[in-house]
Amino acid sequence: MNLTNGFAFTCPFKTNSGNKALEHLPVELAALNAFKPLIITSRNLTGPRAMRILTGAFGDSGMTMGFFDDVTDTADLNIVEKIREIFVKGQYDSIIALGGGVVVDVAKIVNLAVSQKIADARQLSPATAIRDPLGPFVVIPTAAVTGMETSKYAFLNGKSFDSVHLMPDLVVLDPRLTWTKDGKTIAEAGLAAFGRTLEAYIAPDKNPFMNAYAVTALRFIRENLTDAVNKRCNKKVSLAIANAAAMSGCVISNTDQNVLNRLGQVFQNIVHVHPGVIIGMCLHPFLDDCMKKDSSRISSLLLPLGGDDKYAAMPEAGRAGEALRDIYEFSYEIYRALKGKIPRTITEAGIPQYLMDDIFDVMNHEPDGAYLRSIIDRVSGGSIKA
Amino acid sequence: MILPDYYEFCCRVKIVAGHDALEKIPALLAEMGSKKPLIITDKGVAAAGLVDIVVNALKDGVTIGGIADNVPPDSDLRVVNQLAGLYRDNACDAIIAVGGGSVMDTAKGVNIVVSENATDLMAFSGAGALKRRLKPLVAVPTTAGTGSEVTLVAVIKDHEKHLKMLFTSYFLLPSVSILDSRMTMTMPPFITAMTGMDALSHAVEGYYCLQKNPLSDAHSLEAVNMIHKHLTTVTKNPADKDGRLAMAVGACLAGISFSNSMVGIVHNLGHATGAVCGVPHGICMAILLPYGLEYNMHKCGDTIAELLLPIAGEDVYLKTSKAERAEKVVSMIRGMNQELNSITNGRHPRCLQEVKDRDGRPVVPREILPEIARAALLDGATIYNPEDQDYDDNLLVLEAAWEGRPLDRSKIKKG
Repeated sequence: MNLTNGFAFTCPFKTNSGNKALEHLPVELAALNAFKPLIITSRNLTGPRAMRILTGAFGDSGMTMGFFDDVTDTADLNIVEKIREIFVKGQYDSIIALGGGVVVDVAKIVNLAVSQKIADARQLSPATAIRDPLGPFVVIPTAAVTGMETSKYAFLNGKSFDSVHLMPDLVVLDPRLTWTKDGKTIAEAGLAAFGRTLEAYIAPDKNPFMNAYAVTALRFIRENLTDAVNKRCNKKVSLAIANAAAMSGCVISNTDQNVLNRLGQVFQNIVHVHPGVIIGMCLHPFLDDCMKKDSSRISSLLLPLGGDDKYAAMPEAGRAGEALRDIYEFSYEIYRALKGKIPRTITEAGIPQYLMDDIFDVMNHEPDGAYLRSIIDRVSGGSIKA
Repeated sequence: MILPDYYEFCCRVKIVAGHDALEKIPALLAEMGSKKPLIITDKGVAAAGLVDIVVNALKDGVTIGGIADNVPPDSDLRVVNQLAGLYRDNACDAIIAVGGGSVMDTAKGVNIVVSENATDLMAFSGAGALKRRLKPLVAVPTTAGTGSEVTLVAVIKDHEKHLKMLFTSYFLLPSVSILDSRMTMTMPPFITAMTGMDALSHAVEGYYCLQKNPLSDAHSLEAVNMIHKHLTTVTKNPADKDGRLAMAVGACLAGISFSNSMVGIVHNLGHATGAVCGVPHGICMAILLPYGLEYNMHKCGDTIAELLLPIAGEDVYLKTSKAERAEKVVSMIRGMNQELNSITNGRHPRCLQEVKDRDGRPVVPREILPEIARAALLDGATIYNPEDQDYDDNLLVLEAAWEGRPLDRSKIKKG
């Protein structure tokens, strides 16, 4: 790792992971000087079971809390304004986001609105200055996550917010909530986190603090994702994926290397496909390009993916090839276990040409738009014209 | 990789590192809405010219609200209150702490007083008594060892009432830590060696102590690798800028690891040896670290063995059979102490009997070891050690560390 050019790193969230992690919540909130949280979730997207488990965990803590469970996947700033009013009227002092994806995006922007005392949240825009640390904010992910919940980014109805202050103070990973029977859901979360952390890990300018999160996430995904998809009754393996997804939010917030992330994001914004689907699809062409550019960057992947023994026993010249073989084998196992539930090409995903044209339009505005399109071209499945 | 049934991990400190990281302070303060920091340091740091470097780096970016260089080696409540007065009188809005553990502790104490408008610091002592964010605190460590730039603890002594107040809170974490190679460039080889071994002891104990978790592990492994790669080279060549920066980063990673997974017998016996005989902390860590590994090997040999690849590299790793890897880690660390001893012309001691004062007199007489072993029983660091320590075990380890011979592991009472 070359430190000569200097670097900055930050991860403002604490991680509580494991059995009965939710039961620690009242104590954790009190430590943040929060005693009356507003819980933001979604009846339809997160489901009532998660809500029951969460309220049960508060037990007899004596804590008063409020709920807003009406976040939908088409949420916009009108919803944020509605929740802001509830927060202000109810005199809440903190926010808990229960769920993943849009639920957390909404909660991040509500937190921005209430902490900066914005009179009307509908006036918020990506240009809004986000300076001071915001109010206490806890994220409690379920299995259906994108990995961006813990990141500094929030996307809502075409608007993109970016500030380290949007990151939560605490992420609570409880196996009762991170477990799911749906292999597809966990594979999407795992593939999204895998691609993002992998890209950051092989970046030439990575720093050791970010690297600690990336290594841990990569190892958790490599060692557990196949089991999490196959053995759906095992809570521990899905908790490992949830850990990796939470870590990936820290990683993506501390790297400039985000080709795969941006590819996932543009499809999510325009056609509402989970970013993990696109990141999983684009992984192979992306790695092929990296291999051609500088294979030494790929060779270092063998350590987290293959382990100490495999890495040390393989001469440097063979490491990159072995790491690639390992990733191909790994993703083959995942897709085989999913039995076609996650598409492997744009054509399989059923995205029509006119929406692809919109996607390409967005890509054309990126400085490396031509490169992004070249990746999509290779996973188009034949019928899409880039 | 093992996912524990339950774990917590937290380090909310922003890390800014580089050969010119100090120059970033004005912009970092501006982000936090501050423009008039009080600089807190000690006379040694100031005399070494380090405060001048900081002041020069701040240039016109901020108005310096005052420079206080009267922090004593042992934190003191009176100094905390006096500096809080200075902060208020000069209408400061942030603190820059430049120094080692005592400076950081004092700065944290001042921050409690000025942020909470406190008259009685005691009201905020203990765990979790602080309930809100304090004023921005920028930590600039001047040794690569203690890790106190990323810890949530402060110890302040009330010398009049003979009280030692302990403060623990996430709000005590500095807002930003600045790791700048210029802050450690002038450290003499002997100090470089012992502070570096202090950092290594954090990384290693953090890797085997009971509260370890996947994230603290990852920080430990990065730290062990960096410290082993750079400690002997910067001790040999103090002007090695890149090596100095790597050591600062390694020590910070190690600090993050141990403040989450806690420390064990090495720190436990080290604290007691320091308290009873006045041996510098880093020296205790350097001498005791191989013994801590030997003492815990029957409980966590496989875990210790995982340190071999980052510490020794691929060739040594491949040449060492699986069964011998943990012991090889111990011998690598003994080898580091030996090398540091040679580089410093014997000033870096390898065993307790080699620790001498300025006049060359032994500091740890053998007959005092029972007293150290007893004192160690009162230190909190035993809680997180994998093996349950008792007086006999403590004495066994201390005797071996005094003589400088490997520990006879057959004599450990295995709990």
